[in-house]
Amino acid sequence: MAQGYLFFKTTWIGAIGRFWKQELLAVLANLQLAIALLLGIAVASVAGTVIEQGKPAIYYQTNYPESPAVLGFLTWKVLLTLGLDHVYRTGWFLALLVLFGASLLACTSTRQLPMLRAAQRWSYYQQPKRFERLALSTKIVGGELGVVLPLLKKQGYRVFQADQAIYACKGVIGRVGPIVVHISMVFILLGAMVAALGGFSATEVVPSGDTFKVEHIDSAGHFAQGHIPNTWHGRVNRFWIDYTPEGAISQFYSDISLLDAQEQELTRKTIRVNQPLRYQGITFYQTNWSIAKVQVQVNNSPILEVPVQPMQTVEGERLWLAWVPIKADQSEGLALVMSDLQGTLLVYGDQEEALATMRKGMATDVQGVRLKLIDVIGATGLEIKFDPGVPIIYTGFGLLMVGVLMCYVSHAQIWAWQQDECLWIGGRANRAQITFEQEILRVLAELHRAAQSKSATQTQIALKTDA
Amino acid sequence: MNLIQLENLLDNTAFAILLITMLVYWIQAAFPKIWGLAGLGTVGMAVANLAIAGLLLARWLEAGYFPLSNLYESLFFLAWGVTAIHLVAERTTQKSWLGTITAPVAMGISAFAALSLPNTMQTSAPLVPALKSNWLMMHVSVMMLSYSALMVGSVLAIAFLIVTRGESVELRGSSMGAGGLRRIHSATVPTTTLLSANELEALVAESLMPQTLNLADLLDNLSYRIIGLGFPLLTIGIIAGGVWANEAWGSYWSWDPKETWALITWLVFAAYLHARITKGWQGKRPALLAAAGFVVVWICYLGVNFLGKGLHSYGWFL
Repeated sequence: MAQGYLFFKTTWIGAIGRFWKQELLAVLANLQLAIALLLGIAVASVAGTVIEQGKPAIYYQTNYPESPAVLGFLTWKVLLTLGLDHVYRTGWFLALLVLFGASLLACTSTRQLPMLRAAQRWSYYQQPKRFERLALSTKIVGGELGVVLPLLKKQGYRVFQADQAIYACKGVIGRVGPIVVHISMVFILLGAMVAALGGFSATEVVPSGDTFKVEHIDSAGHFAQGHIPNTWHGRVNRFWIDYTPEGAISQFYSDISLLDAQEQELTRKTIRVNQPLRYQGITFYQTNWSIAKVQVQVNNSPILEVPVQPMQTVEGERLWLAWVPIKADQSEGLALVMSDLQGTLLVYGDQEEALATMRKGMATDVQGVRLKLIDVIGATGLEIKFDPGVPIIYTGFGLLMVGVLMCYVSHAQIWAWQQDECLWIGGRANRAQITFEQEILRVLAELHRAAQSKSATQTQIALKTDA
Repeated sequence: MNLIQLENLLDNTAFAILLITMLVYWIQAAFPKIWGLAGLGTVGMAVANLAIAGLLLARWLEAGYFPLSNLYESLFFLAWGVTAIHLVAERTTQKSWLGTITAPVAMGISAFAALSLPNTMQTSAPLVPALKSNWLMMHVSVMMLSYSALMVGSVLAIAFLIVTRGESVELRGSSMGAGGLRRIHSATVPTTTLLSANELEALVAESLMPQTLNLADLLDNLSYRIIGLGFPLLTIGIIAGGVWANEAWGSYWSWDPKETWALITWLVFAAYLHARITKGWQGKRPALLAAAGFVVVWICYLGVNFLGKGLHSYGWFL
């Protein structure tokens, strides 16, 4: 009974093993599958750039109607069912990527490594038919093996010599390159997976001078909750924008402090685009800005802080609007419109007529009141990220760059064999056919020259002895 | 003479020289016996290369940052890349006919930049905050060089398809090294200039003659090698962009249309490289993929800007 069970177990495992090796691995390592995957991912990516991503359903209902359907089949129902409104996050796209990773690994283990071993396991050629198979091969009467050796060394070959034969090669590293590329791609895919599971990203819009917590989470992986900071918070000491003399934005700056529960400063840095703040693996990026509030004085009132509303013109230009009451019952007011933080704004009355242009620190008389603009206070838009996949991805990036450069190197091999008076020589390269052809023809030309001068000397010697 | 005048002079000069160079190469291809034309073509390419380099340097001095901030500058950088790749390839392969294919590409790009772009798009503009980084130079210049190489490589693949139309072909040269074996029943005479007439005769006299590459082989291998150079450049360019994006706003990949198309280009050429070593895909199919790659590179370089969104939409470039 126990024996029978054992027998059953071993055959069962053996069958799976065989299936794994012969069927699944072979299918995964198939090059046609690899090409199909590459092009499949490409086509899906094209779809993602042609179809607007992440819009509300109503957008697709208006732009991809039932009839006439776009391209004859792409109605909004088809589009949403396939998840073409968020291609890069759909299950089938991620499945393609996973399959791609599996294909990379299968190809490395069943093709690339054996090929590398085969390339290293060379032999001397000592039969005419082996030379005859090569396109670039010849037989030189009177050629000498001794002449070949320095010629090949001069061309940068590693030369191995036996009794009557030579094997020379260079650029074996070109055979290692594809393996490094495949492994690096696996690193990148793994890193992306780690990032998706263990990372989070948040956006905070903070008025200059205010404190903030990391709480507006845009996305967080399953294992990211523990990394969202809750023992410390931040303060934007100041946010400002530098403008060019023409009025275009030159750079954004946020002076940020991170504080613990007792308001003790943990770290402080002025960040700008391309210069983030990093603290305990969490990075604060300058990504956006807005206007938070204006400070004004009406007649002799205390300084009023008026919140502003963001607006957008038809052309997409951003504007901000503040409403300042000028009567105690708030029945009348002034609208302040501004488009940047340069401290200039337009004042509109209730009849939507432009009344005045104001600058920071300036007072103006409108609608029977004296309005003074104290300050326009900006808000910084911070992107806060934690990504544990970065080290893995950067390792992948580094390997990929090295590997893909190694792939440019051509692996060249040359064989030579002395058969009595004849020298057989031939070779092949895997990538740089043109350069290799020139190289070997140059070697052949040298050998011919040497053979001719040798026979000429021999004739001379023969003539001399005759005389 | 101020920098602006120098720039105007240089861009028209570069275009004119490339036009003449193209004609020289074509005349040489039609009448190969006219002596000295091949050398003249090479000189033309070299002078055009220097003129464009001078133009870009002048703009660098004028604006104070690496001159890749708008379409005009990037087109000239692209044309510079094409001439540079031509010069390198011509030097290593010693094939002067290469210019009949590369010169029109360089000429077309410089004509587009110098003649068809309105003046407002030719003046240099101040950099927006996101681009104020040393990564700009690294990322954009490598990307542009890779576009140049991939364009030249895929145009050569198109030339290969034209030369071999109506024939079946067997490829030589791939990472596996399937090539290098003797073809049966084909008596090709070596076309190389490395051997003198005597030496050629001596070779022919022997039973075993080296079987050299024919025109189709040459085109195919040149195309493969130049794409093989463009592909690592594209890879490094994309990675540099990813690392920059991660340093600047915390995400190395955001499926922005431009980066997605760079990935699509990468995937198409990766498929091309794999097709060359695939048994069922031998012959012309890899070249067809490379030819399709030509369109993809142009969409990636220019077409995406028509979508007018995403991180790369600053002022119509990159």
